[in-house]
Amino acid sequence: MAFVEQHIHDAPTSFWSKYIVSYDHKVIGKQFLWFGIFWLLVGGLMALLIRWTLAYPGVPFPVIGNLLFPHTDGVVPPDTYAMLFTMHGTIMIFFAITPILIGAFGNFCIPLMIGARDMIFPTLNMLSFWFSMASGVLLLASLCLPLGAAAGGWTSYPTLSTNIGQPGLGQTLWLLSLFLFGVSSTMGAVNYITTVITLRAPGMGYFKMPLTIWGLWLTAILNAIFVPVLGAGLLLLTFDRVFGTTFFLAGAAATSGKGDPVLFQHVFWIFGHPEVYILILPAWGIVSDLLSFFARKPAFGYKMTALSLSAITVLSTVVYGHHMYTTQMSPLMTQSFMTLTMLISIPSAIFFANWLGTLWKGSIRFHSPMLFSLGVVFVFGLGGLTGLYLASTSIDLYLHDTYFVVGHFHYTMAASVLLGGFAGTYFWFPKMFGRMMNEKLAKWHFWCTMIPLNGIFTGMMVVGYGGMHRRLYNPFIYEFLQKLVPINIFITVCAVLMGAAQFIFIYNFVHTIFFKKEVAPANPWEVGTLEWEIPSPAPHYNFKDIPHVKCGPHELGNPNLKNGRDFQYQTEEWVKA
Amino acid sequence: MNLQFSERLLGLAIKTQEMSLWERMQPPEDISSSGHLIHWLFNYTTYVNLFWFALVCIGLFGFSYLYSNKRHKIPFYTHGNEKKHLLVTALIGLGVFLSVDMVITKISTRDMKETFWKFPGDNEDVVRIQVLAQQWAWNFRYAGADGEFNTGDDVVQLNSMVVPVGKKVMIQMTAKDVIHAFYLPNARIKADAIPGRFSKLWFDANKVGKYDIACAEMCGNHHYMMKAQLTVLSQEDFDRWVKESQQIAIATNDTEDINLRWGWQWGSK
Repeated sequence: MAFVEQHIHDAPTSFWSKYIVSYDHKVIGKQFLWFGIFWLLVGGLMALLIRWTLAYPGVPFPVIGNLLFPHTDGVVPPDTYAMLFTMHGTIMIFFAITPILIGAFGNFCIPLMIGARDMIFPTLNMLSFWFSMASGVLLLASLCLPLGAAAGGWTSYPTLSTNIGQPGLGQTLWLLSLFLFGVSSTMGAVNYITTVITLRAPGMGYFKMPLTIWGLWLTAILNAIFVPVLGAGLLLLTFDRVFGTTFFLAGAAATSGKGDPVLFQHVFWIFGHPEVYILILPAWGIVSDLLSFFARKPAFGYKMTALSLSAITVLSTVVYGHHMYTTQMSPLMTQSFMTLTMLISIPSAIFFANWLGTLWKGSIRFHSPMLFSLGVVFVFGLGGLTGLYLASTSIDLYLHDTYFVVGHFHYTMAASVLLGGFAGTYFWFPKMFGRMMNEKLAKWHFWCTMIPLNGIFTGMMVVGYGGMHRRLYNPFIYEFLQKLVPINIFITVCAVLMGAAQFIFIYNFVHTIFFKKEVAPANPWEVGTLEWEIPSPAPHYNFKDIPHVKCGPHELGNPNLKNGRDFQYQTEEWVKA
Repeated sequence: MNLQFSERLLGLAIKTQEMSLWERMQPPEDISSSGHLIHWLFNYTTYVNLFWFALVCIGLFGFSYLYSNKRHKIPFYTHGNEKKHLLVTALIGLGVFLSVDMVITKISTRDMKETFWKFPGDNEDVVRIQVLAQQWAWNFRYAGADGEFNTGDDVVQLNSMVVPVGKKVMIQMTAKDVIHAFYLPNARIKADAIPGRFSKLWFDANKVGKYDIACAEMCGNHHYMMKAQLTVLSQEDFDRWVKESQQIAIATNDTEDINLRWGWQWGSK
């Protein structure tokens, strides 16, 4: 452990250096948070347009339909529909979840929770945000093109994503945008990894880090290794589109030499499967910490949880083939990928058991961050278990590319990550902005999100089992799907309700930041990790004196404590139980 | 613009309202000899998953109830790293792995090996069909009287596949432009049709009737319209159909038309 003490520079004074090109990890974290919330709204609106079309195909979208689609009297046209689900996927994964979970919490929490004054490379950190911004602008720009944005699915399989299927500039801009995003992510990842290795406060061994940091750190490692793989694939596809190479072309269009479209799928999923874990690991970390903080007892089997998360990180790199069973890889490969995928159950079951072990005999305080964390346990349980169906080669013959898959990955990647993100937002909000969010509204937000959310994604699995396949503009031209109309309407109603519930959050968030006067206490949740020892909001350069860590992050409920609190700060000598 | 359609749709929703939710949730009728394997495994997975998820819920809701700070003031201070704790968590991990994962892995491997990957041999008496997927249609090719594919007497069909009941059907397929996926919900099978490659599939239909064939892989704006019909006929009807379409093919196939020659030699690639 090479600890580096960072120098304290003067606080920036101008608006430009304070809020725009800031080198301060806290400000960059907040920039990412706003950026992510903006895209979350855009992606959410797209989701509603998609859902509306699936429940009422051919019926004008209410209220804003005429404004958005004047040429079709407010009905979503088929080409726009394809663009919508492509952009929904892209935006939610790369521009909503990644900035919020990794950009915002990564930047904000890592230095604070390991006792550092800033990230190790502040300039790289600033560039990381502005590269994200540039890639976001490119993506927005692609929405304004005459032929529209990319519409080949977020996976953008060639040859559909080559000039054969996507003649417009939109797909090229999509590729460039994601490439820039990849650069931004890699910068962030390098920064996170190095910061965690070099800037942990004296005394903070790896097994004294909060599990949030474990999650973010493992995510950063996966990001640093696998985002460049995506970059390579995107670059080759860009060459195919712009320079006329044929890396991924085959069939009638491959007039000047033959490539292989399946090659792209391999490259994409070598990145794509770890990406799933890139998104969920920070949420797992946050939840593991919050369960312990609010159950007022140490995280059950802390070391096992950390090691399980690491084991999943390693396993996630060797299972990607389960996305490609239907391309008919050799049986040996298919079986190997199935077996490796199944292995992930072991570490997952272990940290799940540890989560429940943490609740066991606790003294649980049901504040909003805790409610959202418990929500994650519930929805990730469902999401994880439904993955077992899809990992099986034979069941996948039927379920592949159906809504069952959509339901499954939304449970794991969308529901869990979203709830985890909300848990984190409510939890660290006082440290970020120095105010407490309204707890009552937060609880309303939880229930109004949680209930329709399960309606949506369970509903999706039901229609998927009924045979409804993905990415259909109008599923009901198929006779065997017509009986699923009412269930689709139910899902859409749930989606509208869940969308509406987010306004509770937006109101609470914006109102608290800009209008609430009451200042938050330094440690409103009564927990002992390093960031709660400094005032709220966290001051410039966080720690005037670098803290010396003497005990673990989850020292709560120790009966021998004599300090009048039921928890210990990490800087206090551990009291033997 | 699509007002007519929405009217039809609303009428349809009313028409199907008599169905119970349970019936609505059922997958389309299984007409294959192998679909029950998938259902067996699906159901097994569901039962075991329900068991484990029930445990999670008991833990989650039970502990939340029992150990809320109103009911349980003093938490039990433990790090959960004693030997017995590690043993319990490890046992849970292994329990899940053995009861679900190993069983699924074993059974799906068995099913794939003994059924889905067990393609009929070249000498077996099966119906052979070549499929070419394109944006946004399915082309089907039968060898015709000479038994050779890609010759002048081939029966070529657009968006309509006809097979006899109770006989194995062997399909070789590829795609012309982008990746498609041949999806036969009633037989629970699916495979990608990829430009530049051949994929294969077999199935059998043991019930006479008309069923949907769909494209399951996103293939462009009109992906949803890429629908074909599977017609299952009795053996006599099928023989009659073969004879008739053979005559039509011989009478109308333009042997000079290069667009008709998209087929390939069976099993050659």
